[in-house]
Amino acid sequence: MNYPDVTQIAVPFFIAAIVFELVWILTKKRGGRYETRDALTSLLMGAGNVVVTIVLGFVAYGFFMFLWGLTPLDLGNSVLIVAICFVLDDLRYYWVHRYGHRIRWVWASHVNHHSSQHYNLTTALRQTWTGTFTLMMVVRAPLILLGFHPAMVLFVGGLNLVYQFWIHTEAIDKMPRWFEAVMNTPSHHRVHHGRNPRYLDSNYAGVFIIWDKMFGTFVPEIESDRPEYGLVHNLGTFNPLRVAFHEWLGIFRDMTQSGISLRDRVMYAIAPPGWSHDGTRDTSDQIKIKHLERTPEDRDTPGFNMR
Amino acid sequence: MPLPILLVLVVGGIGAIALVLHMLGLSARRVFANESEAGAVWESEFPDDPARQVILSHDHHAALIDTVQGQRGIVWPMGADAAARYLIGATIRKTGKGLNIRLPDFTAPRISLRLDQDEADKWAKTGGKRR
Ligand SMILES: [Zn+2]
Ligand SMILES: [Zn+2]
Repeated sequence: MNYPDVTQIAVPFFIAAIVFELVWILTKKRGGRYETRDALTSLLMGAGNVVVTIVLGFVAYGFFMFLWGLTPLDLGNSVLIVAICFVLDDLRYYWVHRYGHRIRWVWASHVNHHSSQHYNLTTALRQTWTGTFTLMMVVRAPLILLGFHPAMVLFVGGLNLVYQFWIHTEAIDKMPRWFEAVMNTPSHHRVHHGRNPRYLDSNYAGVFIIWDKMFGTFVPEIESDRPEYGLVHNLGTFNPLRVAFHEWLGIFRDMTQSGISLRDRVMYAIAPPGWSHDGTRDTSDQIKIKHLERTPEDRDTPGFNMR
Repeated sequence: MPLPILLVLVVGGIGAIALVLHMLGLSARRVFANESEAGAVWESEFPDDPARQVILSHDHHAALIDTVQGQRGIVWPMGADAAARYLIGATIRKTGKGLNIRLPDFTAPRISLRLDQDEADKWAKTGGKRR
């Protein structure tokens, strides 16, 4: 069974959709913003991701084929099996994405997707160059061992990413209610890209928003708290190399500083982003707590349902 | 998809989109309407240490910040948006057009500010040690 590389096939569609969104924004004078260097950086990150996938794709694929050799199970290639694989892989995506925000080692790879202060279709293409180094491919191991062929797993993973393209837009406000209830949408994903304290660490979904509702990470978009996009500490550079590698360098510097314990060194890699041995930085939890100290009326509103 | 076609699509697509955006005037740098707008940018980056005093550049493209905790910082445009950093460890050099600031920060290594000459002198003096 041969599965197409859907992300590559989708490239012409991506370009056409970006042009369409841009024309929409310029004619309607609403629905988002574009800026030259920001968009250029996003597009270069996307192109770099394609190159890295071509160059380093064999690592993950080799690992998957190794597992495929181990498992006695083979579920075949029926449409039903592909559909089940798609849903289970979306659950896999949810957890990898959640780790991507809660484990600094994984965040180092994912951070660049959040590094734009804009939110338009080019932001969707701002993809990681260093995903292989997070070793998060192990989260797919159960799927392969259950008998889903590696090519199928990569195919549905590609479909997942292609789905997520269109939700990176401000041109669509809300989808129909039933759709918002089940699917990841522009509104839900705007929340995920928000740097507002309320929106940190929420809406990790790829395709189905139900995972966030099941695992308690869902936060709706609040009219009075429009998402501000970007990082808690926004970058002061458009250089794609700096965007791609800055957090890895940060981990390296933190881990190799003098005068801290071995435990602290390990924590700099595996604790949530913002953890520090001397408490000089804030994690998202601390940012939320500090926000509530300044703005107590937000207590027990969405995104602040804390102990 | 054959690699050469993919390459042409990607390089051509990126180049064309960037060119169109630039020709549409979408490369314009952020303008801060007033001191409080620049101060708000600072505060959204450093909510624990808000601005005590904001000095806006004459062209409204940058601001020098004095913080409540007695630190000095800078707010400058990142395209249509903005970034903010403390000037701790900064090397500030006057150029023909304004100031060149180097920071010991991998995510903001260089900041070029366009300032009037008198302004550049003042900012270099208050901003930090001068090379
Ligand atoms: Zn994310
Ligand atoms: Zn996204």
